[in-house]
Amino acid sequence: MTLRLRTLRTWLVWLVYAFLYVPILVVIVYSFNDARYTTEWKGFTLKWYSALAANGPLVDAALNSLSVATLAATIATVLGTLAAICIRRYRFPGRKVLHGCIYVLTVSPDIVMGISLLIFFIAMGVQLGFWTLLAAHVTLALPFVTVTVLARLAEFDEQLIEAARDLGASEWRAFRHVLLPLAAPAVAAGWLLSFTLSMDDVLVSFFVTGPTFEVLPLRVYSMVRLGVKPDINALSAVMFTLTIVLVLLAQTLTRTRRK
Amino acid sequence: MTRRRPFRTASIAVVWLWLGLFALLPNLGLLLVTFLERGESDFVSLVFTWDNYARLADPVFVRILGESLWLAAASTLVCLLIGYPFAYAVATARRGLRPWLLLLVVIPFWTNSLIRTYALIIILKSQGIASNVLMALGLVSEPVSFMYGEFAVFTGLTYTLLPFMILPLYASIEKLDKRLLDAAKDLGASSLRAFWHVTLPLTLPGIVAGCMLVFLPSLGCFYIPEILGGAKSMLIGNFIKNQFLVARDWPLGAAASTIMTALLVLMIIGYWLSSRRVALRERKGADTGAATAGRTPDGGHDMTHGADGARRARGRA
Amino acid sequence: MRTKLHAARAALVMVGLALAVLAATMFARPAVAAEEKVLHVYNWSEYVPQSVLDRFSKETGIKVVYTTYESNEAMYAKIKLLKGVGYDVVVPSTYFISMMRDDGLLAKIDKTRLKNFKNLSPKVLDQPFDPGNEYSVPYMWGSAGLMVNRKVVDPASITSWNDLNRPEFAGKVILSDDQRDSMGVALKALGYSVNSTNEAEIKAAYEWLKKLLPAVRVFDVTASKQAFISEEVAAGLIWNGDAYIAASENKNLVYIYPKEGVPLWVDSLAIPVGAKHKENAHKFIDFLLRPDVAKECVEEYNYSTPNVGAQKILSPDLAKSRITSPTDADLKNAEFTNSVGNALEVYEKYWEMLKTGS
Repeated sequence: MTLRLRTLRTWLVWLVYAFLYVPILVVIVYSFNDARYTTEWKGFTLKWYSALAANGPLVDAALNSLSVATLAATIATVLGTLAAICIRRYRFPGRKVLHGCIYVLTVSPDIVMGISLLIFFIAMGVQLGFWTLLAAHVTLALPFVTVTVLARLAEFDEQLIEAARDLGASEWRAFRHVLLPLAAPAVAAGWLLSFTLSMDDVLVSFFVTGPTFEVLPLRVYSMVRLGVKPDINALSAVMFTLTIVLVLLAQTLTRTRRK
Repeated sequence: MTRRRPFRTASIAVVWLWLGLFALLPNLGLLLVTFLERGESDFVSLVFTWDNYARLADPVFVRILGESLWLAAASTLVCLLIGYPFAYAVATARRGLRPWLLLLVVIPFWTNSLIRTYALIIILKSQGIASNVLMALGLVSEPVSFMYGEFAVFTGLTYTLLPFMILPLYASIEKLDKRLLDAAKDLGASSLRAFWHVTLPLTLPGIVAGCMLVFLPSLGCFYIPEILGGAKSMLIGNFIKNQFLVARDWPLGAAASTIMTALLVLMIIGYWLSSRRVALRERKGADTGAATAGRTPDGGHDMTHGADGARRARGRA
Repeated sequence: MRTKLHAARAALVMVGLALAVLAATMFARPAVAAEEKVLHVYNWSEYVPQSVLDRFSKETGIKVVYTTYESNEAMYAKIKLLKGVGYDVVVPSTYFISMMRDDGLLAKIDKTRLKNFKNLSPKVLDQPFDPGNEYSVPYMWGSAGLMVNRKVVDPASITSWNDLNRPEFAGKVILSDDQRDSMGVALKALGYSVNSTNEAEIKAAYEWLKKLLPAVRVFDVTASKQAFISEEVAAGLIWNGDAYIAASENKNLVYIYPKEGVPLWVDSLAIPVGAKHKENAHKFIDFLLRPDVAKECVEEYNYSTPNVGAQKILSPDLAKSRITSPTDADLKNAEFTNSVGNALEVYEKYWEMLKTGS
């Protein structure tokens, strides 16, 4: 690569990161803004942080969201990866139907998915709450994992697996030692996408959750009518800072371990 | 095929079970509803009718669908143009750095999207941050507003959908064998030519996956165009939501959703068929054949794609 | 072939297992004790201040579990699918009360248990959507009026909804993305009822809006106050609570009650028919009717309170403001939005035509 291309590349990376992070910085800065309603700057305050500390239900909703998102992303990643491998490698009855399902799920408008899942849960007599929400989020995120993993395996060399199988490896071991390492980046990407989807879903969550389990996006979206209160900015700032700290910590840890 | 394969059996069973229960069943129910009549006291009444589809054969609906398809396609293109070079840069960064760079792409998206959209308003509005920066730089003399127009809509959509393009692209580009590129260049291909004949075909599956994960959800998305664009036109996602919630005409909403789904599944099948034909043609004429990637399971696997690509690059060099 | 059979058999076993688990969860559901000290409130986010909820819990020992919805329409669909089971108090707006009552989703309110019911103003009681208030108790109410920016036009010259067509406002008009609100304004401008079910009138309203459309900058989905405060728009429809905040943030903004009348709304407390804690629900509603509590609630949101007791002790700012405390003259020709029944399809049709420019 020529030098010019390389500087161009660095510039692009920085620009995209700036595009992604500037709005977050705005949220953080405005969490210190001494104004209840406006987006004008009215001076520095910490009152939204004390309001946040006093707002138990909001913090609870955030914690609920985190636990659902973590679990849902993990299950969706396992199932989605398995689905991709089944579709990609095995011949079995209904394979094309499954593959079709993946795309139908991606296209389904949230409202349709939310209402149809709610009707399904009611018909099954399941109590609405954590478990129904989890199942719905797994279903919501699954196709994103599958599509990502399928793309990664697109040019996969089937003979590698066959070779492993000929050498006596079980299907599981072949999966564990050949397929999974190969798919790993896509699996990781799939998990990240699933987590993101789950953290942000409103309409599906609205329909499938019950009277005792509230998640953050619902609480935030239902503020639209009355106006979003700045303690949400404070919450976002806290969550963002915690994430960054965790990431930095993890990065230092892996670096020292490697040394 | 007489070997027992517990892993295979279990995987298929679990996947079938989950998708059967939570995807197939509800969607079959949805399909059923499209043939029912709107109910008076319940949401649907059990009377068979084709009427819902007939009602959608209306220029108003076609216009809604067209507008939505255009918006989704355009924002997919914007995401691809930004996402591809970015994903490429991340995928070719130092190996230890890659996961962290990727993580940094996703972290902003763990902040609620409504909050982020409000932050975009603060930036884009009249006398907002963008306007103030431009004035400070002397590029404009009066406060400008970027709100309530296509610019704001595309900014918002790109901002929301970008990771869904970058991550699949990254996963696909990351496995690209750099030796193929080196080989192509050793054989005298220019960077651009090597990119066009080696990199692009080999990362096509990632491109297709990314485009799908951006295009398909963005079709149903209406919140961002509404808030940032001023809701002056109706999109299909909005139309369907209106039918279900405001007009309470579930059969019509279900039919609209079915038509949209069918349209997209047809597009995907069309893509499969065409890529399979390409694959078959390639296998026949393996000599001249350059492998274009993007193969699906139905497209068969071609072992020689990389070498072919390199050879082709050389051939043209 | 064998593998196919294997797969099929395994799938069957899995389906069986799943059904067993589902059945187990069904039967294992704990029977609910007669009246636990719990109340499931379903409402807009923080529409009752947390301090009020805490005070209620402290006084009665009843724990409030508060979950939220983002629109009446979504709440209605969900409660209807659940057949009114699961929630103890909901807060539907205006005509959603009559829709839910007609669907048999609401329980009757036992007014003998509400000793503070007498605090309510007759102005908001006994409305067409719930004659005799058998199913609903007003919590908050307000109007959707016309706001203009003084910099653009002299507010004294604006008296009618038809003034939105004035050339000064070109490209600076804001309307609501709620079809009943915006169509309601158009109907009012033409001298019809906001609850018209006459197709010719609805069509006329659509044409009125279509003529205005080139001047419209935004159909508002969130808080219209932002657009007014940052002066992205100069005239249009706004709820009085938002108007109060906007006018105090930007002194150029003026709220006007057009002479044709304004649409009015009420958010009412109601008890779903399947509520498991009806007694607690009555206690909660009665608590919210206490003047001091009602005062605290309304001062948080700057709408109007239906509570005469609260109005008396209201902060002077809110009590003096015509935005939150309208005079009788302001509300001349004003009308509560009501259910339009099947005419909703007609509204939807013309709304789609408006939005697609046909």
